[in-house]
Amino acid sequence: MHRFANPARFLRIARAVTPWLVLPGLAITAAALYIGLFASPPDYQQGDSVRIMYVHVPAAWLGSGGYLGLAIASLTALVWRHPLANVAGRAIALPGALFTAICLVSGSLWGKPTWGTYWVWDARLTSMLVLLFLYLGYLALSAAESDRPEARGAAILSLVGTINLPIIKYSVEWWNTLHQGPSITVTKNAIAPEMLLPLLLSVAGFSLLFAGIVLMRMRTELATTRVAVRSRRLAEAHA
Amino acid sequence: MKAKHQRLTLAIGALVALGGAGALGLSTLGDSATYFYAPSDVAKKPPAKGEAIRLGGLVEMGSVAHAGAATVAFVVTDNAKTVPVRYTGIVPDLFREGQGVIAEGRFDERGMFVADTILAKHDEKYMPPEVAGTLHKVPGTVG
Amino acid sequence: MNHAAFIIPAYVLTVAGLVGLLVHSWLAMRAAERAADEMRKR
Repeated sequence: MHRFANPARFLRIARAVTPWLVLPGLAITAAALYIGLFASPPDYQQGDSVRIMYVHVPAAWLGSGGYLGLAIASLTALVWRHPLANVAGRAIALPGALFTAICLVSGSLWGKPTWGTYWVWDARLTSMLVLLFLYLGYLALSAAESDRPEARGAAILSLVGTINLPIIKYSVEWWNTLHQGPSITVTKNAIAPEMLLPLLLSVAGFSLLFAGIVLMRMRTELATTRVAVRSRRLAEAHA
Repeated sequence: MKAKHQRLTLAIGALVALGGAGALGLSTLGDSATYFYAPSDVAKKPPAKGEAIRLGGLVEMGSVAHAGAATVAFVVTDNAKTVPVRYTGIVPDLFREGQGVIAEGRFDERGMFVADTILAKHDEKYMPPEVAGTLHKVPGTVG
Repeated sequence: MNHAAFIIPAYVLTVAGLVGLLVHSWLAMRAAERAADEMRKR
C-alpha cells in the first residue's frame, strides 16, 4: 500500500505518465467527436439528436466513475492514512463535478428534442443532480479544511455519498423513469456498431483526459506544498 | 498495525450501517419515487377521482386516431392492461405507435385519461434507419 | 424540431469545459512546479 507513499517516487512516475495520458486523450477525443458529429449515422427514432450521446455518456461515466475514485481515495486516507490519498481525492473532485455538470446539461439538451422536456424529477435525473451536490459539498468542505491536514470531514462526506452510486445505476430498474434503461450490460448491447465506435472512442478519450487532469492537479498540490514547507523552514532558520 | 485494523473495522462497520440505512430509506421511498404508473398499476390501485397522475406505457399499434385539429386519441398499453387517452396539443417528435409514452393528466368520469402533457419515452436501442428498415420487415422485432 | 440547436450547444459546452479545465490544470501545474524548482535551487 505504501509503495507509492514516497511523493518523490510518485512524482517521477506521474511526470513520465502525464503526457502519455493527455496527448493520446486529445487525439482520441477529437477523432471520437468528429465521427460522432459527421461520420456516424442518425438514429432510426431520434434522428440527429442521438449525436449528443457521444458527449453525454462519457460525461456520465466519468462523473460516477470519478466519484468511485474519490470514495476509494477517501477510504484510503481514513483507514491507511496514505499521504497521497487526500491529494488524489481533492484532484478528482473538480473534474468529477465538471463531468457531472456536463452530463446534466447535455442530457437536458438531449431531452428536449427526444422526450419533449428539458428536465423531469425522475429517479435517474434526480440522483445524478444529487451526485453534483455531493461533489460540490466535498469541494467546499475540503477547501474549508485545507489549513488542517488532520481534518476528516470531506473524506467522511464523500464516503457517505457512495450510497448514491448504486441508486444512480439501478434507478432505471428499481423505478419507472423517463430515462431509458441501460443499452450495454454484460449480456447485451443494443447499440449498432457504427454508433458504438464513436461512443467507445469518446469514453476512452475522455477517460485519458480525466486521468491526465487528475495527475496534473496532484502534481500542482504536491509542488505547492513543497514550496510552503520550504519557505516555512527558511523563515524559521532566519528567525 | 493495531490502530490501522481498528480504523478498517470501524470503516467497514460504518459502510455496512450506511448501506442498511440506505436500503431502509429506499424501501420507505418505494412507490413515491416512481415517475409514472403503468396501466396495470392503475387497474390494481385506481387513482382518486380527478387526481393528477402520470400514466406510462407503449402507444398501442394502430390505436392513434386524430380527432379534430390538434386532438389525438390513442391507447396506452403495458401488454397486460390498456388505458384510452385523449390529448389536445402538440405531441413530441418521438410520439409514435409502438414507442414509449408518458401522459400527465387525470381520468374523466367515463374512464378516459385526459392528458395535458405528453412526453415521449424512448427505449435503449440505437441504430441507423437502414438497419431499422430491414428489421421492420420482420414484424415484431423492433418495438 | 431543429436538432442542430441542441447538438451544437451540447458539444460546445463539453469541449469548452474540458479544454478549459485541461488548460487551467496545466498552467497551474507549470507555475507550481517552476516555483518549487526555483525554491530548491536557492
